[in-house]
Amino acid sequence: MNIIQTSDLCKQYGGALRVSHLNLSVAEGSVYGFLGPNGAGKSTTLKMILGLVRPTAGSIEVLGKPMDSANRLAVLRQVGSLIESPSYYGHLTGEENLRIVQTLRGVPEKNIREVLQIVRLDGQRGKKAAHYSLGMKQRLGLAAALLGYPKLLILDEPTNGLDPAGIQEMRELICDLPRRFGMTVVVSSHLLSEIDQMADHVAIIREGELVFQDTLETLHSRSCRHLAMKTTDNETARRILKEQELSCQEQDDYLILPVLRDEAAAKLTCFLARQHIGVVRLEERQKSLEDIFLELTGKAVSL
Amino acid sequence: MNIKLLGLEFYKCRRRNITVLCAAVLAVELLWMGFTLSRQGTDDLRQGWMMMLYNLAMVDAIVLPLSVAALASRNCELEHKGSTPKLLETMVSPSSLYTAKLCWGALTLAVLFIVRSVIFAAMGAAAGFPGEVPLAQFCIFALISWAVSMMVYTLGQGLSLRFANQAPALICGISGSFLGILSMLFPPALTRFVPWGYYGLLALVGMDWNETTRITRFYWQWPSPADLALLAVWAAVFGTVGRMLFVKKEV
Repeated sequence: MNIIQTSDLCKQYGGALRVSHLNLSVAEGSVYGFLGPNGAGKSTTLKMILGLVRPTAGSIEVLGKPMDSANRLAVLRQVGSLIESPSYYGHLTGEENLRIVQTLRGVPEKNIREVLQIVRLDGQRGKKAAHYSLGMKQRLGLAAALLGYPKLLILDEPTNGLDPAGIQEMRELICDLPRRFGMTVVVSSHLLSEIDQMADHVAIIREGELVFQDTLETLHSRSCRHLAMKTTDNETARRILKEQELSCQEQDDYLILPVLRDEAAAKLTCFLARQHIGVVRLEERQKSLEDIFLELTGKAVSL
Repeated sequence: MNIKLLGLEFYKCRRRNITVLCAAVLAVELLWMGFTLSRQGTDDLRQGWMMMLYNLAMVDAIVLPLSVAALASRNCELEHKGSTPKLLETMVSPSSLYTAKLCWGALTLAVLFIVRSVIFAAMGAAAGFPGEVPLAQFCIFALISWAVSMMVYTLGQGLSLRFANQAPALICGISGSFLGILSMLFPPALTRFVPWGYYGLLALVGMDWNETTRITRFYWQWPSPADLALLAVWAAVFGTVGRMLFVKKEV
């Protein structure tokens, strides 16, 4: 079952279509990475899913129910969220901040202590939120999102502004959630490496358009190894190889071939030499995830 | 809007020095009135109760527009500071949030005016004003002050929620204080177009100064129903526009 399903979701600001015909399918129980360069439309999409921004067109279903004004709040009772920066009242303590969310969600008071322990803030609960470090504020935001132990957790760039230790800690927390509490987690990021370490499903968005959506495994399978060969006459070599029923493509002065065993590769070079074609270079290559991301988004990847 | 949300508004305003702000308003009014009374002769104090409420309406027109705007700002600014609407609006509707804040303002101002009435009644009694404390008039005066302040508060809340920067709301309050007292010099028809002018327009006591005898006479007057209706119209306009802007705002 899909816990989130969007159909032809669009958002227009002025004359610009920021999110264009987005069809997202988030499977229940997954950690769904929502990846895209800055300004691709990730936050706008997540805000539309939460009903904080009105879609220009399209529909959204969360937990099997349409997200319209009639049942938006009822659906969101089972959804926790942390959008962009954490929301908090700086003049109140961490515990007081969570008490506000606990009262509004109508969940037991004991949840406050529990979530503070989960995000490792129990020792700082009496401190004013304004005096928290950025990492602590992010964890407070996560605690607020976790307070009702929701079925679905939506986290928008939760590691933004954190130091490497904070990023590692947040990542561990997020990865732990589906196993410990059976939550489905949607986490957005512009960092491919981050999504690679957390998600099992991934969607890639570019300029508001969905360019990839599948399991992370499928994305990895795109990074298959291949042989790149440069010859003295690529055009003739390509024709001859085609006659030998060996498929290849030409790319940047190289012929791209499937990976061959060492003996087969040696036979190939000898065969081409007999045809008076010299092999200048023969390399084994593997596309990195960054290359794939770059290909899909057409933008410089953040690492 | 439910009681839970209203309770949370009070909870959120912890350590926001709301009591200090209200105490400052009372202190300014008390000092002003004390200074005014100290300059009155024995003859003038024979109409002490009426003179007090007449002057209090003027002091209100100066002090309250800015104070009420500051109060609304204290309550609304905290939402902008902590980027909380995007969290709150996943749990409650923006319309309920707007109503809860308005009710918080209504209750806070109600307490402020009740306390003020008690203090000024005690002040009048201590100053030896003749006759009984005019309780009914004090109650009506407090009610009018509250109603006008609520209209001003609604305007302030609308601005404070709409703009993250609180300068527009506070500048509006400062302008209100200036226009509030200035409008007392306008003809009533013109005063009706100045929202802050209603403190003076709906004053419960009128003054008649006889040029020949140079005697000042105060008299009780009832606010005209038309002015009360106009006050309600102003409040409804500010409330409707403010709510619409807040509800439609995407966070």
